[in-house]
Amino acid sequence: MAQTTTTTAGHGPRGTAHLSLAARRRIRGVAGLLIGAGGFLLLWTILSRFVFGEFILPPPLEIGREMWEIVESGAFATNFWATIERLLYGFGLALAIGFPVGYLMGTSRWWRAFFHDMVMVAGSIPGITYAVLALVLFGISILGPVVSVALVSMPYIAINVAEGLDSVDRKLVTMSDAFGRQRSAVVRHVLIPTIMPFAFAGVRLSIALAWKVEQLTEVFGSSSGIGFQIRREFEDFSIPGTLAWVFLFILFMLLVERFILVRLERYLFRWRIEDQA
Amino acid sequence: MSIAVERTRTAGSSGGGAADVLRRFVRSDRFARAASYVFLLLLWWLASVYEDRFPAPLETFQFLWVEVTGGSHGGVVRGEFLEHFASTLPRFGLGIAISMVLGIAVGVVIGGSKWAEALFKDTLLVLLALPAIIWAFLTQMWFGLGDDAVVITTFLSAFPFVAVNVVQGIQAIPRELRRMSRAFHVPRYKRLRHMQVPAVTGYIFAGFRFAVIVGWNAVLLSEWFSSSEGVGWRSRYWYDANRYRGFLAWVILFIGFIVLLDRLVLVRLQRRAFRWRDAQASAIEREAEEIDIGVKGA
Repeated sequence: MAQTTTTTAGHGPRGTAHLSLAARRRIRGVAGLLIGAGGFLLLWTILSRFVFGEFILPPPLEIGREMWEIVESGAFATNFWATIERLLYGFGLALAIGFPVGYLMGTSRWWRAFFHDMVMVAGSIPGITYAVLALVLFGISILGPVVSVALVSMPYIAINVAEGLDSVDRKLVTMSDAFGRQRSAVVRHVLIPTIMPFAFAGVRLSIALAWKVEQLTEVFGSSSGIGFQIRREFEDFSIPGTLAWVFLFILFMLLVERFILVRLERYLFRWRIEDQA
Repeated sequence: MSIAVERTRTAGSSGGGAADVLRRFVRSDRFARAASYVFLLLLWWLASVYEDRFPAPLETFQFLWVEVTGGSHGGVVRGEFLEHFASTLPRFGLGIAISMVLGIAVGVVIGGSKWAEALFKDTLLVLLALPAIIWAFLTQMWFGLGDDAVVITTFLSAFPFVAVNVVQGIQAIPRELRRMSRAFHVPRYKRLRHMQVPAVTGYIFAGFRFAVIVGWNAVLLSEWFSSSEGVGWRSRYWYDANRYRGFLAWVILFIGFIVLLDRLVLVRLQRRAFRWRDAQASAIEREAEEIDIGVKGA
């Protein structure tokens, strides 16, 4: 993004005075974010002061103070780490099961029919099912959230891997066979590069859902994590406390989405030149 | 590749006899699907063996039967099933209706203007990512027990999915068409009527489908925490009473409801509305698209 901006601006006949489209878009994005955030805080203050009352909707400053206390006390770090750890284990499990299942679905008709209904239905199962069943099955333990995350994410990874296999260039495979390439070489140089973007798309899609289900599982059956903290605040009937954790959660989620996932995506797909423009 | 292997194998099995019929039956799609249900039941049964508190399939279905028909309770609790669905569905419907109206309005505004997009897109993405449980808690604290909290939770959870899909739909209108209509000073309502509405219809259907799926989870959750009737409340009732088979019976009921609604009505609507776009897509591409519950916009 930044590179194209500078080059077009530098080479343009009217020099830097005339901003390129990308630069304008970027300025609009930043300005929009700032104005949006400012407007949001203003609206919130007005609503809390004049419409709902400070008890129902505490003003931003109070939430900010609450958030700072949570961060300062170290509760933020421990609970978020607990949540992230479970999420990672869950994804690990989902990948470990999702890849073979996706492989079977992508290569064999029988297995595709076998998994078809499970995969298609999984997305519409209400999250509360996972949360409570995990609690009944595993009690209050780390297993509940991990298994829930894995169950929610698995179908997305599986079907994306299957979709990836479906899009493998058959001619390339046939040619590799004809030239006597080993199967491992075909897997390494043809199958995996084709499947990776699809698998990553599956992971990205499922993260959004996995977050939610993990929160829910923690609300029901956990003794740490963001979901558990939100539930604790709810049971104390503390609106500022609940909102503070919710906003910390939002900030954290944006951070993960914007920085870690985008970086990871860029790193994994650095060989795809067209995406860097 | 094994695709090819599979095909030659099925083609090569031409020797007659009962064994062959059997083999063909075992390899059929229908058998595979049936096998998957048997496999799931087996998993369920294993779970009930592993953990005593987890009810076995048979007792759960017996309980389910009693909840639906009244069974041997002599009609005292007859109609539990209908009664609770009857109190949940209006709340659910109202929440979805509000989220459709507001979602389309907000989506049109954000999709139509670059500035509105810069201002509100991030808020929308945050809303999209918020779990329904947060709304369930907040609305309970704000509005107390009752219908309000449930309807508003449903609305707040489902609304961003509609909005994001409408935004996508509007932005999917070819740029040339938009520019040309502006260059030729096509009036706003005509642009709406002939360009935006047709392009967006499919995305609205998709948004509706996601709203229903997400909203169903939200309504159940909210009823679990802030209601004294309804499907979500009834599941909690059995859960709190430590009668997990009752809970599981209701799980089957509410999963059954949404799965049937989705597969029999919503997916078909969506597929119909996107016919023009997905005609070239392979079956598996279409399926991957269908289970992607609106998170693409993020």
